Amino acid sequence: MRVAIAEDSVLLREGLTRILSGAGLEVVAAYDNADDLLRYVRSFPPEVAILDIRLPPTHNDEGMRAALRIRAQHPGVGVLVLSQYLELGLAMQLLSESAEGVGYLLKDRISDVEDFVAAVRRVGTGGSAIDPKIVSTLLKRRRGDDPLAVLTPREREALELMATGASNQGIADALTITLRAAEKYVSGIFTKLGIPSTRSESRRVLAVLLYLRA
Amino acid sequence: MARGTLTIEPAHGPGPWALWATVLAGFGTLVVSVVLAMAGDELVRPGLQALLFNWITIPYLISGTLAWWRRPDSRLGPLMIATAFVMALTALQWSSVPALHSFGHLLDMVPSAMFLHVFLAYPTGRLETRPRQVVVIAAYVNVVVLQLAKILLGGNPDSLLAITSEPVLAARIEQVQLITMSVLLLTGTVLLFVRRPSAAGTRRRPVTLLVDTFGLALVALAVLYVAGLRGWPQIETVRHIAFAAVGLAPVAFLLGLLDARMARTDVGALLMELRAHPAGELREPLARALHDPSLTLAYWLPQYGTWADQEGRAITLRGAEDGRATRVIKRDDEPIIALEFDRSLEDERELLDAVAAAAGIALENNRLQVELRARLQELQGSRARVIDAGQKERQRLERNLHDGAQQRLVALSLELGLLAGSAGGETSERLLQAKREVSVSLDELRDVARGIHPAVLTGHGLAVALESLAAQAAVPVELEVAVDGRLTERIEVAAYYVVSESLTNIAKHAHATVASVHVTRSADTVVVEVVDDGVGGADTERGTGLRGLADRVEAVGGRLRIWSPAGHGTRLEAEFPCE
Repeated sequence: MRVAIAEDSVLLREGLTRILSGAGLEVVAAYDNADDLLRYVRSFPPEVAILDIRLPPTHNDEGMRAALRIRAQHPGVGVLVLSQYLELGLAMQLLSESAEGVGYLLKDRISDVEDFVAAVRRVGTGGSAIDPKIVSTLLKRRRGDDPLAVLTPREREALELMATGASNQGIADALTITLRAAEKYVSGIFTKLGIPSTRSESRRVLAVLLYLRA
Repeated sequence: MARGTLTIEPAHGPGPWALWATVLAGFGTLVVSVVLAMAGDELVRPGLQALLFNWITIPYLISGTLAWWRRPDSRLGPLMIATAFVMALTALQWSSVPALHSFGHLLDMVPSAMFLHVFLAYPTGRLETRPRQVVVIAAYVNVVVLQLAKILLGGNPDSLLAITSEPVLAARIEQVQLITMSVLLLTGTVLLFVRRPSAAGTRRRPVTLLVDTFGLALVALAVLYVAGLRGWPQIETVRHIAFAAVGLAPVAFLLGLLDARMARTDVGALLMELRAHPAGELREPLARALHDPSLTLAYWLPQYGTWADQEGRAITLRGAEDGRATRVIKRDDEPIIALEFDRSLEDERELLDAVAAAAGIALENNRLQVELRARLQELQGSRARVIDAGQKERQRLERNLHDGAQQRLVALSLELGLLAGSAGGETSERLLQAKREVSVSLDELRDVARGIHPAVLTGHGLAVALESLAAQAAVPVELEVAVDGRLTERIEVAAYYVVSESLTNIAKHAHATVASVHVTRSADTVVVEVVDDGVGGADTERGTGLRGLADRVEAVGGRLRIWSPAGHGTRLEAEFPCE
């Protein structure tokens, strides 16, 4: 799997390269700015582009803009955005078309090497990776008539995993249950919450996030 | 400055005794003239004659007395009173007593010269130009000398003064007398209209009305004399018209006086208007109060030593020769402004004084207001600069944290993660523990940095930044941001803090189940509205939080309003100006 990187911090750029190469991924380009990455992606579209959300020159929204542009112009390229802060609004912007091949993670996640590499692979194969913190924030809200009260604790865990982009196999692994059991949880959740069910694992990410945000 | 105050009894005017004596004497003549007219057999229709006669004498008497009282420094009042009495004395010719009849008849023509005198001497009581003096003197010579000559020659057989009987010569003299008098009266009319305020610009209704009436009276008298000369059969009708016209003049004069009094009541309205619109245009209300649309204002520019008009163009003040007059308003002996007005206004000094005083007050107020506004602007400017500087500093701090400590901690965490993977056993466990510590530090640092400045706001605008706030709120928040494009950073930051503080307050105090955040933009304002369904009772004065928020909103020129009835939720509305 070929990966291109735009990260202005040398330490992190090198760290990323090391981790991904170590995990058997091919880091084909690593830049400190968005423009060079965009040019590279245009010529040699990789499977995944990893971008820091704040890039030179202004460190405001260059990374985000480049990510949205790749999403629009190169639908085949998975985009993983890294940030020091998590912004639900930005996650929603990234997911606005579809959750296919999109990731939005806190920078710290890099250090959980295995999980991070798995997330990169997921994004590279059309899946999604939404930072668990975003999901847990949405789940933490106090509600007058909590619609999530109908879920069992295990179903709640499955919902949380589903919202981060985990596949049915991923849910099964995380909860140490069988794939069939995981599938049962998922369809049960959809039925209980009244979310129109979808087969696509990445499309259900958006549906669940929208449900939780409402 | 006795002139500035409205004195009821001028220091050097006539005392009440003199005034009342004049009035009483005047009414005495009224009674006497009526008795004489009714008792004698001289007149064709004695009742009508007496009425017309008094139609002239009484208004002259009243107007003269009022003018004497109100404007003691004008000779017009005494002149009008004298005219009234001389006119009254001519009634003696209706008497059957020969001496009285002779005296009355001798004075017969004098009033017409005096009318001419009064009209041409208006308003000062002085004949100000040479032609006027010549005309009036000629008229007096005519009515005294020619009248006497006529009588001496036996023009009036009943007169005791007739020393000979030369009726043909007397008739000739009378012809000359009437012709000259008509010519003099018409000349007087011309002189009057030369000085009549021009119709355009300097419209002063009472004054033009007065001049018109004077002119009408003089022409009517001239016609009367020509009619007498020609022996027209309608002479009595002409006489009645002439008398009516001559009697109108003092009525018009009275109207003029009344108008001046009413104008003074306009000064009250002027003061009210100046107070209601302190920074408004000054000329219009002043012109209205003075009843002079031609009024112009000239501002003194001390740094140039010149007068300037409203637009700042240098001008020179016009003088009396243009029919204009000026009044300069000073403060601390330095001229500030000059009012230039129609010269006829000079006659209404009290009105001028009052208007000038009002203008002075208004100007002083204007100056103070301008100063105040300048200071306020300075203050607002410096407050905005302080806020902007603080904002920049916060942004810089956040940026330093982000690029420095945060990046390093992430790199450290990454390194620890890698080491933990390659190490084994207890070492790995300890490394992972260290990594978790770093993660906690990172979380804390993130909160600190975000509190210093929400970077997402700078990068992505209000809508995106509020999305996270709403997601993190303790209660479900309905969020609607109807703002296209970006706003001024200052406003975005203030609006962000309004929502952030409000949601924090809702979490802490409101016990709400739901909240909504609406941001809307109109042409020149952005309104942020935060509503919850909680317990209400929020108080801007007691809690420092809301007060601080209000300060923050006001610092960027906005306004914060809060409705929080106990038990009925809280509605908070912040309105910001936007360019």
